[in-house]
Amino acid sequence: MFFLFTLNNQNLPYPDTMHPVIVHFVIAMVFFAYVSDIVGHLTKQPRLLEVSWWNWLTAAIAIFFAVIFGEFEAALAMPYPAAQPALDWHTVNGWSLSAILVGLTAWRGIIRIRNPLKIPFSFLVLATLLMVLVCLQIFLGSLVDWVFGLHTLPVVQATKQGLIP
Amino acid sequence: MNPTLIDQLKEIGLQLGTNGLPYRFPIHPNLVHFSLGLFIIALIFDFAGVFFPLEHPILKSFGIPANRHNFFDVGWYNAVAGSIISLFTVAAGFFEILLAQPPTDQLSDWGLGSGTTMLLHGVGGVLLLMMMIAMTIWRGYQRFVWRKNLKLQVSFSYLIVALFLMVYMVIHGTLGAQLGAEFGVHNTAAHLLRMGENPNSVLQEGGIDL
Repeated sequence: MFFLFTLNNQNLPYPDTMHPVIVHFVIAMVFFAYVSDIVGHLTKQPRLLEVSWWNWLTAAIAIFFAVIFGEFEAALAMPYPAAQPALDWHTVNGWSLSAILVGLTAWRGIIRIRNPLKIPFSFLVLATLLMVLVCLQIFLGSLVDWVFGLHTLPVVQATKQGLIP
Repeated sequence: MNPTLIDQLKEIGLQLGTNGLPYRFPIHPNLVHFSLGLFIIALIFDFAGVFFPLEHPILKSFGIPANRHNFFDVGWYNAVAGSIISLFTVAAGFFEILLAQPPTDQLSDWGLGSGTTMLLHGVGGVLLLMMMIAMTIWRGYQRFVWRKNLKLQVSFSYLIVALFLMVYMVIHGTLGAQLGAEFGVHNTAAHLLRMGENPNSVLQEGGIDL
């Protein structure tokens, strides 16, 4: 277990950030579930509605791990003052998304059992709101990583040398 | 490409920012979420379909009705979507790799220079796209022709190739992660540091518009 306490040059106890990998399985699944729901609902294809349900469920499971690793890596990120607001909003929105996504998935599971061929309009409206928040979350995450460079080697080095802030 | 070649792109009106791109952050890593997420989950659901008796009791205990052929539906539709989006992932990747100017004086965790890493990730990415499309076509033939009436829609050989592909994706993804996180390719803060500027003050002044 000792390796867990040794941080590498990206300030991580393992080679690369895990959060951006785990979010593959949230982002892709949520988008595909949403599209499958709409297309499946409009074309009355039970197959697509099953595909959407399993994708919702996968996303709801994956988001737990995304939040856990996100919090862990955020705690090791050494954000400089300019980066702090983006990281904070990413955290707040991430926790909100996890609650909304799990709630929506539970609802989707009940819809599936009651009437697998019809998606209530109210579900699609809330799912649309979720998609807006997911897009905002992708934007904030991109800021944290690609603009502010948290856990990016040259930025970590400069922070450790006291060059930033 | 070298700076002179990139400078020539002004001929077609490309205005490049601090990160070396004509927009705020790279598109390729965002499309990668879809490529890998969709394709890996497709493969996992094919495994779940073949080994259905293993997870069926677990789903049952949660009160979730499940049917084997629906897992194969996920395996098929997700693979098709993953293959289609990957055409754009590779296109965006090529655009951004051509605009990359990574540092030449450092080695990655795997002891490779940035040029080697870019070459392997670029060529490896085209190979991966070819393999994903080939897998999807193979998957389609199994679904609609060869194994149309069989209980298991995919063969064991398909699952073995799927395992190989997932290992390939991990290696390929790590090379890509090293370009971003170690060499700082198209990373605004990393570029600022190389220009001798302090990201904290520059990015604070610029502010972020939410």
